[in-house]
Amino acid sequence: MPARHPAVTRAEDGTVQITEPIAGPAFTRAVLDVAGAVLTWPVLGPTGLPAAEIHDVAQAQQWLWAVYGERTAAAVDAVASGAPEAAAEPMAPEQPTALAESAARLAFGHWTARWWPASHLDGIPALEPGALGLELAALTHECQQLLDEAGEVEGRELLEEHLAALAPLVRWWQSGASPRRLGGVLRLIDDAADGLGLGGEEIGRLRSALEQDDGPSGTPLDLADLFVRQGEFALAAGSARPATGRVIARGVGTNNWCRYPPGFVDAAEDAVTWTVYALGAGRWIEVEVVAGGTAPVGGGRLAAEVSVERVHLAAEVHVDGGPPSRVPLARRDDVWTGRANLDIRASTTPSVEVGVLLPGFDPGPGADDRAAREAVRALARRRLGEAAAPHDGEAAQSGPFLAEILAAAAVEEDF
Amino acid sequence: MPSPSQPSTGERRPRAMVIDRAWRGLGPGCRALSGPGGAPLTRTVKLIVLPLIVRPTLRPEFAADFLGAREAEQLDALIRESGAVLEATAQWFTLLKKTRRALGIVAGNPQDLYFQRCFELATEHGAPGPGAEAAAKSVLADVVDATGGRTVEALKEHLADSARRARLDAELTAAWVGREAATGAADTGPADEVLDACGVPGAVSPAFAAMVRAGHGSLLGRALWSAHPADVGDRADLWDRADLWGRSDVPPHLGLTAHRVPPRPGVGRSASTATLPAPFDRTLFERLFTVLQTSTHREHLPTVPELVEREVGRSCAPLGLHDESLRVTVVLGGRLAVGLDPLGTGGSVTGPTAAHRIVNSRWQREASVLRARRMTVSPGPDPDGGVLNALAQDLRTPWAAYMRRLWVRLHGRDVRDAALPDAASAWSVLDGVARSVMMDHRARVRTALRSLSANSEPAAEPRSA
Repeated sequence: MPARHPAVTRAEDGTVQITEPIAGPAFTRAVLDVAGAVLTWPVLGPTGLPAAEIHDVAQAQQWLWAVYGERTAAAVDAVASGAPEAAAEPMAPEQPTALAESAARLAFGHWTARWWPASHLDGIPALEPGALGLELAALTHECQQLLDEAGEVEGRELLEEHLAALAPLVRWWQSGASPRRLGGVLRLIDDAADGLGLGGEEIGRLRSALEQDDGPSGTPLDLADLFVRQGEFALAAGSARPATGRVIARGVGTNNWCRYPPGFVDAAEDAVTWTVYALGAGRWIEVEVVAGGTAPVGGGRLAAEVSVERVHLAAEVHVDGGPPSRVPLARRDDVWTGRANLDIRASTTPSVEVGVLLPGFDPGPGADDRAAREAVRALARRRLGEAAAPHDGEAAQSGPFLAEILAAAAVEEDF
Repeated sequence: MPSPSQPSTGERRPRAMVIDRAWRGLGPGCRALSGPGGAPLTRTVKLIVLPLIVRPTLRPEFAADFLGAREAEQLDALIRESGAVLEATAQWFTLLKKTRRALGIVAGNPQDLYFQRCFELATEHGAPGPGAEAAAKSVLADVVDATGGRTVEALKEHLADSARRARLDAELTAAWVGREAATGAADTGPADEVLDACGVPGAVSPAFAAMVRAGHGSLLGRALWSAHPADVGDRADLWDRADLWGRSDVPPHLGLTAHRVPPRPGVGRSASTATLPAPFDRTLFERLFTVLQTSTHREHLPTVPELVEREVGRSCAPLGLHDESLRVTVVLGGRLAVGLDPLGTGGSVTGPTAAHRIVNSRWQREASVLRARRMTVSPGPDPDGGVLNALAQDLRTPWAAYMRRLWVRLHGRDVRDAALPDAASAWSVLDGVARSVMMDHRARVRTALRSLSANSEPAAEPRSA
C-alpha cells in the first residue's frame, strides 16, 4: 500500500496545494502545466502522485478526480470554499490511475528533453530529439483530459516541429523489430493529427501505413542508421595554439547545467577546464569547455556560422574570491575556448573558480548541485541499461522512451 | 456529527466523473468524440455535453462541480438517454472530417468548428443517411463562409477607395478636434478597492460600479490627451498626483502610445502583426485588422463598412473605447500592471492588492516552471545577453506588454458591444490577460532558445535511401 497521504492546503493567495511543493535543484523536478494547475514530480524520487498547485479550482475539478481520486477532489473543493479543517484530513491513499501514469510519463519526457545529461566524456549518448518529440506529442494527446488550450498548442507544436522524424519511426515499426509501444505512439499521433485537423505529406504517409494494417513487414533495419546521429564527436585534442607560457595552475571548473540551454555543453562534471599561464610578469587564463552535441555547429552551413557568431557562451572566472569576470568563449569544433589576462601578482599562485554560462540565459550561480547532477547521470545510465535490455514487456507506461532505446542501440554499436 | 464542510464520498460526486462514467457506458459508437483513453474529449464536454445536453443554465441542480447522489443519478440517466443522438453526432463528425480532408480544408480546429453543427444535424436527421454527403458539404461551405465577408481582404478593399479614404480622413480630423476637454482630475486610486476584492469568491465590489458612474475611465483618457509629466506644470489641475499610477518611473500612458500624447489616428491601408505600433498609435486599418484576425465568430460582428464608420468615433474617444466599463477596466488594468513583478525581485512598488498577489504568485509559479523547463532569462540586465536580455527587459517593464494585450481585448469587446457588467467579469478579463502575457513570454523564450541552438543538420534524414 502506498505510504503517500496527500494533504490539501490553501495558500494565502488562494492557491490550493496538494502536498508540499517539491524542493531541490530545478533539474530534479518534472513539471506539467495542466488546466488550472501545475503538477510536479521528483525526478530522482519514486514516481507516484504529483504535488499540485491549483490556481483555478473550477478548471481543475474537470480532472482532479481522475488523477487523485474522488476524495482528494472533494477535499480540494472543501478547502477552496474555505474549510480549513479539510486540509488536515488525511486522504486515503490511492493507486495511480492510468491518467496519472500518463501524466507522470509526459512530465518526465519533457524533463528528458531539457535535462538529459548527454556527454561524450561520460559516455551518455544524446537522445534523438525527433523521436522524443513525437513520443511527447503522442503522450500529450493521451493526456488531453488534463490539458487546457496552451497544453494542446504545445502538443501541436511538438508534432509540427518533429514531423520529419515520422518517416523513420514508421520504418522502424514496419521492420517488425520495434517495441510494442511504437505502434501505439503512431496511432496516437494519427489520432491527434486528425483531431487537430493537420494534414500534409508525412501525416498522409503515416495514415496509409497504419491503414494497410498488416503492420510490421519484417524489413530488417539497423537501428543505428535510422536517424542521422548527432554528436558524432571527434574531440579536438588540446589547445589550438601551442601555449607559449609556463603553466602555473590548472583545474576543473563548475558545470552548472542551469546556466546554459540544453546541448550547449557536454554534461560531464569535468567538461570545464582551465589553465593559468605565466610569461614574464604576464598572467593569463585559458578556459576550455567541451561542447555539447546540439549546440550550434561551426562550419558546414552559413546559417550555423551566423548563429555561432551570435552565441557568446562565456566563462565566469573568480580569482582569489574576488568578483567574477567574464571570458567570452568561441566554439571551435567540439570545444569552446576563451582566454583572458589576469591581473594578479606574479609571485602568487592564484585560486581560481570557473563556471560556464550563456549571458542573458543564466539565472545566477545558485547552489552547488554536484551530488544531484551525479544522481541524474546515474539515473540516465540506469535507464539506458534498461533500454538496452530486450524490450517488450506489458508495462507500456513505465518503459523507456523510444529515443532511449535508439540511444542505447547506438551505444552498443559504438562499443 | 460530521461537519458539512467535510464531504463524504458516498454522497457527493464530481460532476466531471459522473459525465465520464456515463460517457464510457455509451460504448464504442461515440469513439469519434472520445479521447485515446475512452474519456470524452475536453471539447466534447465543453461544446456538446454541457451546453447541449446537461444545460446547467436550465437545470441549476447540475450547475455545481459536485452533485448529490440523486442529481448524479439523474445526470447519468440524462447522458445515457442521449446515447443515440451522441452516436449520430459522432458519425456526422467523422463524415465532416472526411469531407473536409477530401476538400483540402485545413484551417481551424475541426472540433471547434463542427461539434455544434454535428449535434444539430444528429438532432434533426439522426445518423447520416442518404444525402448525408451533400449535407456535410453544405455545412463545410457554410462554416467557411460564416464570416459573411468580414475579412481583412474586404477591409483592404473598402479602404482602397481614395474618395472614401479622404472622407474618413476628414471625419477623423473633425472628431479629433471635437474631443471633449478634461473636466476633472484623473485618479487611479479607487481602482485599488476593486482590485482588492478580486478573486475572492462571492465578494461584491460596489466600487467598480461607482468608478463607471463617475467616469473614471474617461477622465484618464482625456488626461492622457492633454498632459505628460513634463507638462504637468501647465495643467496640474488634471493630475491628482504627478505619479498617476502611484510610482514615478512609469509613463502615464503605460506604453499605450510611443508619443508624449497620442497622435490623431490615420486611416491606414495595411498592417502586419509583427510590426503593429502601440495601441493608441494604430490606424483605423490596424485596429480593425486585429479585430478581424482574432475573432472566432466574425458573423456576429458588424459589417465591414459599419466597423469602419464606428471606428472613426471610437478611435477619437477616450482610451480609444466607447464603453465606460471597458475604459474603467483600463484603469484597473493599469493599476494592476504597475504592481506586477514577473521576476520576483520583490521591490514592492504600489500597495499590493489581492489581485496583485494572485497574479504575482502565478508569475512565481511560472518562473519555477520555466526554471524546471530550462527556459530562463537572466534577472538582471546583461549587455551580452542579446535577444534573451531583451525578453528579460520586457519582464522588467511588464506593464507595457500587459496594457497592450489588455487594450486589444477590451477593444475587441467594444467592437462587439460587450461591456463588462461587474467587477467579477472585469477581473476575469484582467486575469486572462495576465495569463496571456505569461504565455507570450514563454513562447518568445522558446523561440529565442530555438534560434540560438538551431542545428544546421535536419532533425532526421535517412542515411541511405
